[in-house]
Amino acid sequence: MRRRFWQRTYLVTLLLFLVCLYAGLFSLAFYTYGRSVENTENACLAEERYLARSFERDLHDMEEAENGTSPKLLMQSYAQNYEKQRVSLAFFEGDREVFSSFGETPPLPENGTITQIKEEEDRWILISGEIGEGRYRLLYGRYAGDLDREFASLMLTYAAVAAGVSLFLAVFLLLLLKRLSLPLEKLRVTTERIAAGDRTVAAEESGKDEFAALAKSFNQMVEKVSAQMEELADDAERKQALVDNMAHEMRTPLTSIRGFAEYIEKAAVPEEERRDAALRIVSETDRLKRISEKLLDSAFLRENTLQKETVDLAALLADTAARLAPPAKERGVTLRVLPGAGSAEGDATLLSMLLYNLTENAIKACRPGGEVVLSAGENRISVSDNGKGMTKEQLAHVTEPFYRTDKSRSRAEGGAGLGLALCRQIVLSHGAELAFDSEPERGTAVTVVFPQKEAPQ
Amino acid sequence: MARILIVEDEIQINDLIMKNLRLVGHECTQLYDGEEAALRAQTEHFDLILLDVMLPGLSGFDVIGELRGTKTPVIFVTAKNALPDRLQGLRLGADDYIVKPFEILELVQRVDTVLRRAGGPRRSFSFDDVTVDFDSRRVSKGGKEVEMTPKEYDLLEALIVNRNLALSREQLIYLVWSHDFDGENRTVDTHVRRLRKKLGLEDRLKTVFKTGYRLEV
Repeated sequence: MRRRFWQRTYLVTLLLFLVCLYAGLFSLAFYTYGRSVENTENACLAEERYLARSFERDLHDMEEAENGTSPKLLMQSYAQNYEKQRVSLAFFEGDREVFSSFGETPPLPENGTITQIKEEEDRWILISGEIGEGRYRLLYGRYAGDLDREFASLMLTYAAVAAGVSLFLAVFLLLLLKRLSLPLEKLRVTTERIAAGDRTVAAEESGKDEFAALAKSFNQMVEKVSAQMEELADDAERKQALVDNMAHEMRTPLTSIRGFAEYIEKAAVPEEERRDAALRIVSETDRLKRISEKLLDSAFLRENTLQKETVDLAALLADTAARLAPPAKERGVTLRVLPGAGSAEGDATLLSMLLYNLTENAIKACRPGGEVVLSAGENRISVSDNGKGMTKEQLAHVTEPFYRTDKSRSRAEGGAGLGLALCRQIVLSHGAELAFDSEPERGTAVTVVFPQKEAPQ
Repeated sequence: MARILIVEDEIQINDLIMKNLRLVGHECTQLYDGEEAALRAQTEHFDLILLDVMLPGLSGFDVIGELRGTKTPVIFVTAKNALPDRLQGLRLGADDYIVKPFEILELVQRVDTVLRRAGGPRRSFSFDDVTVDFDSRRVSKGGKEVEMTPKEYDLLEALIVNRNLALSREQLIYLVWSHDFDGENRTVDTHVRRLRKKLGLEDRLKTVFKTGYRLEV
């Protein structure tokens, strides 16, 4: 398993801290040790100078007094005095050793210098100096083993302190980092659940730190993505419904055409029966043709830009009324154009298609003796009928492709169920509004309101 | 031979089914919406109901729910070949289904199969002086029994079930000889000739140009 971020942070931080702590402590220890050695050496030097001068004076006094005291005895008494301070002394006349309180006299270092000798566990600081204009030499030796022991015990103390601090830090840092990374861990768990498809969870947004901000952005992102996915799904569903409807709409006339063709081929029926079947094939073929034309119109609309111009709406109404007069008359429906003038910005061909479809629908909605009224105003056309009307439920679906308010009747009249869907598309492409006002058994009024024309520049 | 209720809102398809079933001897009633169909099927007796799924008023699935008590066999006529629709239809108690667009022969055959399974009144058939008894597989002409091989009888029955409709040699082979037949179309011609001779069907069992044979009664 891969280490988590907080675990890596923990290890790296701890390691870095330990390195710094130990390096710091031990540098300090060595520095302190160095200083104390130096101090001791300086003290020794001073002491040796003092001792040498004092001894020289005593030697001088002794020689003047001639009381028979030898330098050896003098040295001995000095050595006895200093023994408690762990200082050993040796006295040389020329190169001859006169006196030594060293267990074993070490080799003489050069005049006035400090030497350290180390024998097994013991360390000595040695200083030699001349006395009596070079006749005698004094060797001063100070035991310095206690310095090492002090250093060793110092190191031990430091190590113990460092170990304690390290342990404390290790535990505390672990708890701290774990706690600090808790929101991140929660977010990770949430992410995993969302990735597994659970859309009900959300990241916790408590607190004011970056994690809370991250959780907030994360939730927003999830919300947006979900919304978008839903939209896509809806869109796909709508398209699927359209394709299903289309397949059904095409399959129905195809079934009839195929069936009646087979009937003509196979059935032993009189001549007029065969003619009837042939006529049915013709009418079903026309129906297929109408569906494909409407679909093509719709595709044309989607793929082409509008060629806008100022359209005279009164002229458009008159033209449409003229084109639809024959079918209206056939059904016994009166088609009336109210006087009025107006114009709108739009594509003349498409607006003509729009009005034609609306008027045709109105005529079909009417019973014999009904009336369809066309009227126009500035940026407005309206088609109303006193036909069978629509319920609220029907109104909600009326512009969906292949929707029919009265399925069997509309089909019998050869409607493809695409007319109003096409109208809606045209209206939308003009930025206009399509409003239905309908009541069952009272009639329907459709109004198209175009946007205000842009002021000429 | 059987009383069949056709429920289909597409007038053309309703007519198409009616015309073909009438041709092979069934008596048809045509209805165009679900609610009326549910009502009529409960008050009147039908031997079989052909039911469209997408209907105004009540859907085909709703109608079959209303008919659960009547035990009338139902064949769904559906525009969708989708498996869920077919399964739902069968689960609701339909006896079979036909997918649009369908062949006439398939329609007639499925109707015949379901009627036969339901044990309807269709147990014998007579024309001119010929009588065919489907239960005992006996054929008589002018009161005298006519000797027939099993295949000759099967061919006669297939022609009667699809009477007034032209059947191709391939279709006849499929219906009579089934899958285990690897002979030639001439076998059909030979059997047809023998049937004509034995039952004197020269005017009834006609050769249809470029198609096959048709029993016209």
